[in-house]
Amino acid sequence: NIQPPEKPLQAEEWNRLRESFLSPRIFEEVMFNSMVRCNSPIDVAKSLLTHVAKSNGDIAYNLLVKYLALCVQQGQTSEICDVYDIMKTRFKILESGAYSLFIRGLSNSDQWRMALTLLEEVKKIMIPSRTNYESCIKAASRHQEMNLAFDLYHEMLAKDLVPTLDVLQAFFDFSRGMKGAELQKELFGILLYLRENQIYPHRTFMRSIKLWFESIPGGNWRGHLTNIKDSGQCPVCNHQLEDSDLTEEEYNNLRERIIRDVIHGTDTFRKTSPQEFEAFQTFVENRFPFDIVIDGLNVSHIKPRKMQCENLFDAINCLAKDNARLLVLGRKHMLINSSNWQRDIMKEMQNKADFFFAENISEDDAFLLYATLRSGKHCKFVTRDFLRDHKACLSDSLTRHLFRKWQRGHQIAFSPSVEGKHIKFLPAFCYDCVVQTTGDTWHIPYKEIFEKKYSYEVPRKWLCIQQK
Amino acid sequence: MQSANVLLKKIVRSSVLPFAGQHGMKKDLLPLSRTLSLSLGLKQDNSCSPSEKLDLDAWKKVMKSGLQEEVSKTAPEHKELSALAAARELLEMWRLAGRLVPENISEEQLKTFMECPSKSAKKKYLKYLHLKEIHKKNDKRKMDEKRERRLEAQEQASKTDETKRNSFVCLWTSGMDKTYSWRVAQSMVFGQPLVFDMSYEKDMSIREVANTVRQIVLSEGCNRRSMDPFHIHFCNFKDDSLYHKEFLKHYREAWGKLLITVTDQCYTDVFPKDKLIYLTADSPKVMKTFDHDKIYIIGSMVDRSIKTGVSLARAKRLGLETAALPLEKYLLWSSGAKNLTLDQMMHILLTLKDTGDWKKALEFVPKRKYCSFVSKPVDELKKTLNLINTLKLGKRQEEVRKLFAKNYSKKLRQK
Repeated sequence: NIQPPEKPLQAEEWNRLRESFLSPRIFEEVMFNSMVRCNSPIDVAKSLLTHVAKSNGDIAYNLLVKYLALCVQQGQTSEICDVYDIMKTRFKILESGAYSLFIRGLSNSDQWRMALTLLEEVKKIMIPSRTNYESCIKAASRHQEMNLAFDLYHEMLAKDLVPTLDVLQAFFDFSRGMKGAELQKELFGILLYLRENQIYPHRTFMRSIKLWFESIPGGNWRGHLTNIKDSGQCPVCNHQLEDSDLTEEEYNNLRERIIRDVIHGTDTFRKTSPQEFEAFQTFVENRFPFDIVIDGLNVSHIKPRKMQCENLFDAINCLAKDNARLLVLGRKHMLINSSNWQRDIMKEMQNKADFFFAENISEDDAFLLYATLRSGKHCKFVTRDFLRDHKACLSDSLTRHLFRKWQRGHQIAFSPSVEGKHIKFLPAFCYDCVVQTTGDTWHIPYKEIFEKKYSYEVPRKWLCIQQK
Repeated sequence: MQSANVLLKKIVRSSVLPFAGQHGMKKDLLPLSRTLSLSLGLKQDNSCSPSEKLDLDAWKKVMKSGLQEEVSKTAPEHKELSALAAARELLEMWRLAGRLVPENISEEQLKTFMECPSKSAKKKYLKYLHLKEIHKKNDKRKMDEKRERRLEAQEQASKTDETKRNSFVCLWTSGMDKTYSWRVAQSMVFGQPLVFDMSYEKDMSIREVANTVRQIVLSEGCNRRSMDPFHIHFCNFKDDSLYHKEFLKHYREAWGKLLITVTDQCYTDVFPKDKLIYLTADSPKVMKTFDHDKIYIIGSMVDRSIKTGVSLARAKRLGLETAALPLEKYLLWSSGAKNLTLDQMMHILLTLKDTGDWKKALEFVPKRKYCSFVSKPVDELKKTLNLINTLKLGKRQEEVRKLFAKNYSKKLRQK
């Protein structure tokens, strides 16, 4: 790596530097890269360009792009325009990298409308990237052209591009204090987009939303940060959040898809066999509805020091309250008397719960999902598994969202402190953790910026907005 | 032709080539660039006068001055480009921008490129073509160098002018071929069958099929050269399938003369069911010994995306016995999937057949996938492996030592 010079150099000085460089063939490239990294003054870069132009009679495309990157980095608008003129006459078309740089550079300047024309140019040769749109949308909304910004936004959604959270936030930032029913509708639309895609805004984005609500002229909105109670009630406005129950149609849809995509997939034999699945289906039909379906093998590993059947026994005793009907799914090897699976304990458990034993090479998780869904909306299931691989089997994102929603409301997990003497369970959420509204209230879950959040975790912090 | 001209112009104009001439780059140079670099050298000398004042925007003038002639030349070309031509242009620009893009791309490849469903798929495909091109070029270069050396050697030899006499006529290769063929022909009558199940075409991408066929060709080759070859069966083989097309690409006219059995029947129709054993990494059963009376089936499938249970499902459907290699038992596995390539399987099976020695056979498992052969019980060694891994990951040594001490003392207590 080389340090770029601080001042513009003469041709011979460049020559000397080049000679001393290990591989002179890529000297200019390496030099430009380090200029971009060190944010060198553009005069230095210009002097190198001049040197290259004079000795070669031309400048290669990649060097021009690197110079462009430097100009964009420093917001040198007039230089960007010059480079554009040169490139445009020199090359018939440009490639995506250069276009992105031009769009980014120009959208931050007073020449931002040119970025829009460039976007049109990009559309002719390929689908613009989401950051291309981001630059243009931000530029438009910065200049209060909200209609234009929203047109671009809808255009990118129509192209299946996923907008960055930055863009969404920019809409709220730049609409602050602006009037207009149309605008308000659009921004509510963004909130509903968050809801539909189960996206949680981060803290600064949440603040932008809050400030926008509070700034609506005559809106009388007030926002508060809060934690929702376990009962699902908002402590600020006493509003009960919606539960994660699916509609009848969604429910049936999800069940069909689980059978089709997760259990059968490309080949029924991969996870089970047709005979076995049929046997399981008749088993469930004869005995459902269950209240709780338990993944026996998963539960049996909670405490590694205990015998596996003991763990399962504890869990069943803990869950078998109020005459709840339990179904335990296991594999056939559990029936063979062994050090981990003692026959007498297994016998006793089978008096308290229904058991279904799958083949040793079958996947019991798929059965777990099926039995729970077949039993109805009240039925919950117990496993520590996050079921991500099963979610991934579902073929479209809509069903995956349904699955996540259903999972949040129906999965009973173990309390994290399993070290204690007794097994404890965390009840499933009785409210749904998504952006939601009743018209005069909005409840928006948000996450801390640096909080690491896995896909199966849901934020506990909420923004409550109500209209007075 | 026109586009070729444009290409040529661009190459000549790019700054890399003139210097390549000076520094003796290994690429094939256009005859043009050599003269060009000479004239540029002169130009450079002129521009290097020390008294020159630094004009920072001089490059713009240079860039624009070259334009007038350029525009007039390209003007007639400025009509609507077809989609293919536009894609070609775009690729050319990407190449100029330094992305991994092949220099030459055929019409067919261009179409495949345009049909790629996503941007990343396009990028990957281009990178693949680029690397392929580089390999091809390097091979060609090496061939040329070799030929040159050979010519030189011949020249020297002709100077000394000494013809060597040998009692064998130099027919080594064809002689060997005959021996091999004899052995394989024998195996076709008396040998132990080995089945390749060719029913996975739908589970693979085109490139995976090509890889599969390549691996089978290698397997067939090593089978042919072994002392006691298998009688290879390709079962479920459909004519005009992708497999078939790829095989023709590899073998050409030799395809019809291969000493193997190709059939569109299923192995269950050819052999008694109770003799068949399907080899799959997903099998719950582990192979203990190589059985000379059984017929082993290998699924002809390359799955880069690790689709678990595909071949196990096939065996389950037909009610066949399955088996997996005892990799865990003999090797301390470190990383990588347990599925091996088809030619590795072939090597392993041949060695087992000849010697029955697992250690020798499993030498063919790629070294990067395992740490060492197992001499102690595996679970004990696993702890060591975990230790190695934590050390590799740079955990604090103290912690690791404590962990080790803890495990160790526990074991003592258990005893």
